[in-house]
Amino acid sequence: MIAAAGLGARAGDFELRDITFSVPSGGYGVVIGPAGAGKTTLLETIAGIVPQTAGTLQLGARSAEGVRPEERGIGIVYQRAYLFPHLTVEANVLYGARDAGFARGIARRLGAEPLFSRDVRGLSGGERGVVALARALATRPPLLLLDEPYGALDPRRRAMVRREVRALHRELGFTVLQVTHDFTEAGLLGDVAVLLDAGRMLQSGPPQRVFREPASPYIAEFLGAENIFAGTVRVLGDAAPDWVAGEPDVLARGHRAIEFDAGAFQLYTVGDAPAGRGHAVIRGEEVMLSETPGGGTSARNQLDGEITDVATLGALTRVVIDIKGTPLVASLTTRSAQELSLREGQHIWATFKAMAVHLC
Amino acid sequence: MSASRGAHRAASVVAALAGSLFLLFLLAPLARLIAAGGASGAQRLFTDAELRGSLLLTAVTATVAAAIGVLGGTPVAYLLERKRFRGRALLAALLDLPLLVPHPVAGIALLLVLGRESAFGGALLAAGLRVVGSPLGIIAAMLFVSAPLFVSAAREAFGRVDPRYESVARTLGDAPWTVFRRVTLPLAMRGLIAAGVVMWARAVSEFGAIVILTYNPKVASVLSYDRFTSFGLSEALPVAAILALLALVPLVALRALRPERGAQEA
Repeated sequence: MIAAAGLGARAGDFELRDITFSVPSGGYGVVIGPAGAGKTTLLETIAGIVPQTAGTLQLGARSAEGVRPEERGIGIVYQRAYLFPHLTVEANVLYGARDAGFARGIARRLGAEPLFSRDVRGLSGGERGVVALARALATRPPLLLLDEPYGALDPRRRAMVRREVRALHRELGFTVLQVTHDFTEAGLLGDVAVLLDAGRMLQSGPPQRVFREPASPYIAEFLGAENIFAGTVRVLGDAAPDWVAGEPDVLARGHRAIEFDAGAFQLYTVGDAPAGRGHAVIRGEEVMLSETPGGGTSARNQLDGEITDVATLGALTRVVIDIKGTPLVASLTTRSAQELSLREGQHIWATFKAMAVHLC
Repeated sequence: MSASRGAHRAASVVAALAGSLFLLFLLAPLARLIAAGGASGAQRLFTDAELRGSLLLTAVTATVAAAIGVLGGTPVAYLLERKRFRGRALLAALLDLPLLVPHPVAGIALLLVLGRESAFGGALLAAGLRVVGSPLGIIAAMLFVSAPLFVSAAREAFGRVDPRYESVARTLGDAPWTVFRRVTLPLAMRGLIAAGVVMWARAVSEFGAIVILTYNPKVASVLSYDRFTSFGLSEALPVAAILALLALVPLVALRALRPERGAQEA
């Protein structure tokens, strides 16, 4: 388990402040943030390499206070691998291992064993990454910190190594905290996502919630939300209006019905946002398109406009619809786009549920 | 366009000429010295017992001074490079001071501390250790003027080792001292040996401080000076030429020890 509360640290001029999150024992946490956000500093603070200046840090059953890096039971893998250049690949893998047989087994599974006779300085970036992973896991650490370890791997090897690390994670039960730039990876791997920017934590929680319910328009934009509208929140009242009838979980959650005025159009949603200025976020994949207005649907938001752009990227197609001067982006499968014969200038209806609108 | 190309060419010619003259100024005296005295110097190695004894004394005292410098200077260099503490910059500046004072001044300063009239020198003498006028004085003078060069070069050697190698080793279970032994020292080794060679070469070439502390027995630099003042240029030439030739040894060693490019990019 990793539990940070109000964690602070300083590395040179950079300061990490007020970081609070928790990854359960055996869980998989992901740290997301732009370059310079403090992701590596966070990992190094947890490892005890960068001194902690504030807050508390719990590693497993004990507090990390006063515990030296070599006593924390942590394996760290940097993006640049940092293999010891004066040692062989095998000596690197066995460096901290107490059980050489176990270490060799890990190296075999990750595909590092065939590299044992190679000179460390002659390895490719991907090979270094694999050896560094094997070296860290060879010590059987209860906690594994990964700083973009798959960045230098080619796609085939990346898939294999990721799969093996997942399998080892399940088998050995260690806790992982991984820095990644890849939102898909974050969504797929993580039990907990921690969002950092400029040394501060923006948000943390289950990745699905962080992605669907970003705490600010900045976070929404950073996480790749296509539709972010500024506007005014109007609370329709504590009692749910008739249009919430199709949303069985709304009342149970105690949320209020809300109308969001985006200027060019109104959106309906539920939530606990206060009245006044705010932002509405709708992920592109939540928007459905149809040639005619959707009848017999529970979706409360139906807007019509003209398609201004259709961009296909493999299996996905991104469609931009002009709604009274405001662009709305829908992401759909290329197959659906083809079946609807979507083209620029076409009149189209965009539909999404009240629950797809997140206010922040 | 052609005018600017002409100006560019003229500037290149001037720069090449200035560079050539500069190199000539640095190398011509040594080349002339070796040409004039090299052969007779080599011959004297077989016939001149005082020269042989002097060279041996120089090599031994410089080696002892370099060994002491490496042993004492390595932890100091590591601390200055890796640790942040109050007064670090001041300590680093003070360590460079021996390089900046004129060497006879360094000799006089050492004499004040190690001479028989000083408390420390007196105590050493009482314990049977005579510093002034003995090989110990030579070692002390050599150490004083050359150790700062070692510390400075050793700091650079440690500075070239990315601290993250050490961090990784810590997380793999090693205590700081073990990390130093297993990771830092091997990675900095080439640079440290090069720093030791620089120190040794500087110790061999020292004259000003040694001549104050220990004129006799004579190291090679003192011997060449002694022969020059006692017998003239012709007698000083072979000794001087041998010293110039010996300077090639550390030069070759340093070239061999240059850090490999990308040696630490793993």
